[in-house]
Amino acid sequence: MTAAELIVDGLGMQFEGLTALADVTLRVPPGEIHGLIGPNGAGKTTFFNCLTGFYRPTSGAVYLSGQRIDGLPPHVITGLGIARTFQNIRLFANMTVLENVLVGQHQHIPVGGTDILSTRRPVYPTAVERLLILRGFPRAAVNGVIEIAGAIARPPRVRAAEAAAVSRARDLLAAVGLRGRENDLARNLPYGDQRRLEIARALATRPSLLLLDEPTAGMNPRKPPPWSASSAASATNSIPPSSSSNTRCASSWASAKTSPSSITAAKSPRAPVAIQRNPTVIEAYLGTRAIQGGGHAAP
Amino acid sequence: MLVFVALFVVLGLGLNVVVGFAGLLDLGYVAFFAAGAYTMGLLTSPGSPIDAGLNFWLILPMGILIASAVGLLLGLPVLPLRGDYLAIVTTGFGEIIRLFLINRDDLTRGSQGLSAIPRPDLFGYRIDSFTEWFYFVVAAAVIVGFCTSRLRDSRIGRAWEAIREDEDVAAAMGVNTTKYKLLAFASGAAIGGLGGVIYAAFIGFISPAAFSLQVSIDVLAIVIIGGMGSTPGVILGSLILIGVPRILQFRETSDFLANLGWLRDGLNGLIGAVDALTPGSIGRLPPAETWGAQLADDTRFIIFGALLVIVMVVRPSGLWPSSRRRLEFAHDDAPAPAPVTAP
Repeated sequence: MTAAELIVDGLGMQFEGLTALADVTLRVPPGEIHGLIGPNGAGKTTFFNCLTGFYRPTSGAVYLSGQRIDGLPPHVITGLGIARTFQNIRLFANMTVLENVLVGQHQHIPVGGTDILSTRRPVYPTAVERLLILRGFPRAAVNGVIEIAGAIARPPRVRAAEAAAVSRARDLLAAVGLRGRENDLARNLPYGDQRRLEIARALATRPSLLLLDEPTAGMNPRKPPPWSASSAASATNSIPPSSSSNTRCASSWASAKTSPSSITAAKSPRAPVAIQRNPTVIEAYLGTRAIQGGGHAAP
Repeated sequence: MLVFVALFVVLGLGLNVVVGFAGLLDLGYVAFFAAGAYTMGLLTSPGSPIDAGLNFWLILPMGILIASAVGLLLGLPVLPLRGDYLAIVTTGFGEIIRLFLINRDDLTRGSQGLSAIPRPDLFGYRIDSFTEWFYFVVAAAVIVGFCTSRLRDSRIGRAWEAIREDEDVAAAMGVNTTKYKLLAFASGAAIGGLGGVIYAAFIGFISPAAFSLQVSIDVLAIVIIGGMGSTPGVILGSLILIGVPRILQFRETSDFLANLGWLRDGLNGLIGAVDALTPGSIGRLPPAETWGAQLADDTRFIIFGALLVIVMVVRPSGLWPSSRRRLEFAHDDAPAPAPVTAP
């Protein structure tokens, strides 16, 4: 899938009276790598959750390749091309490595119609529509019956789709360096390999935008990052990743936590050092006195 | 007796889809069983107000369809619920169906039940004797077992498993969790409905009393004792949970126990020896003739309960766990080779 442009316009997220995100506006042009940094609690993961449909933003809009996606359910957003990993690794622990990647390919195994709902649906459906009883229900039911029948009878069409998926899963696993571990349970992998698997699983959804939530958390900064995601991505002809990380590995731009709003973000200079010296960043991490004192670079 | 073992294999396989595969704890499974049974009963019993005298083979798919619809009816409201809450709501659902059957007596004849449900013909041959029924139900169980294992090894099976493992992440990977949870409820219910139709045709008489919460619990126990997600486990679980209590009930068992007079004499001799050392500390065993009766009444459930506790303590993953479950309960330092997913 080709790279897509992400535009976030005035995004806000409030939980009861708590403002987690206020007026986040940014643009990620196709093919670029961006980073999102901020102190603990700044709202980085909340921001990701808003982009991927886990949360429904309370204000603002998100566009992927010109299409408005905020408020859509997670599986639809995944189908439209955003994939993510999780800050604290969330693999399907009791499934095998291969199966984890196969689940990532769910929408690309053509065995029963796709689950991507019509893109014409309103961004904010009414309460009745959200019940799903009316909208798309008959079609989902028919697709479900087709899929069940196919799974039981296993006609050549289904076998071929499954075989193609398995072979692609093996390629992806090889690309992240997990060849030969296909049949291990995911939870039996060492920590670094679990990170790799999460990336392979995210790539399996064929994203046009990859969101990595702290991909280097818990990793040794002196060793090469486990997630040569860009290399994996190029190996599988996908996409530029966009990542969020507290470590200095991530290239980037900054966020400021000044109550009550938390993140503001803009476009990115590449060099980490420049970011470390950026007054806004220093203020976010260390407060205003650090800026007046001058000189303190790295957080 | 064996017919019931086979029938509960069918039900166990159905619930296994919901609980074992998709991880949705459903304690109202009896509702689907009842839906199937009442479809058969209402459409064939002479006592029913809507008796249509339909053929068993026509009613079979209808029962399955109606049960699936009931499954969806249960599935929709409980979609956002997980774990314990799901168990509570589904329990209530099972009871609602039973109370509905009792109270809508203009339709279901209430507690009186529906009687004289005809038995099915197979190619012009009436399935009548217990042996014939046994083979018939076993055939149904084999077909159902084949279907569920095929489902497990497919995209649906993986989606269910992903939902069981982590529902949010499954959604982030593109799985429409709403749809697949409903599919799990509907497929499980369909199999329950199949069991219900067969049950009604076999017994010939159904009343709400037969569809108590106890049935749901029995089926769930079969799935758990046998090993969640495991097809052979369900068979083994059914043999033990449904078979053993009935064996204990048998007249033959009582007779067998009654013939153990020599054992009693021996044990009493032993007791006598102990008694001689500490007089009056223990009484003698009762006559062997009464053992059977005692087993059949009160002691049976105690023995049975103890067996279940022992099984769950000794083999927490079930008697015959699925290969994956065995891996899960194995310790991390011994990663056994996992089954290869069929290409």
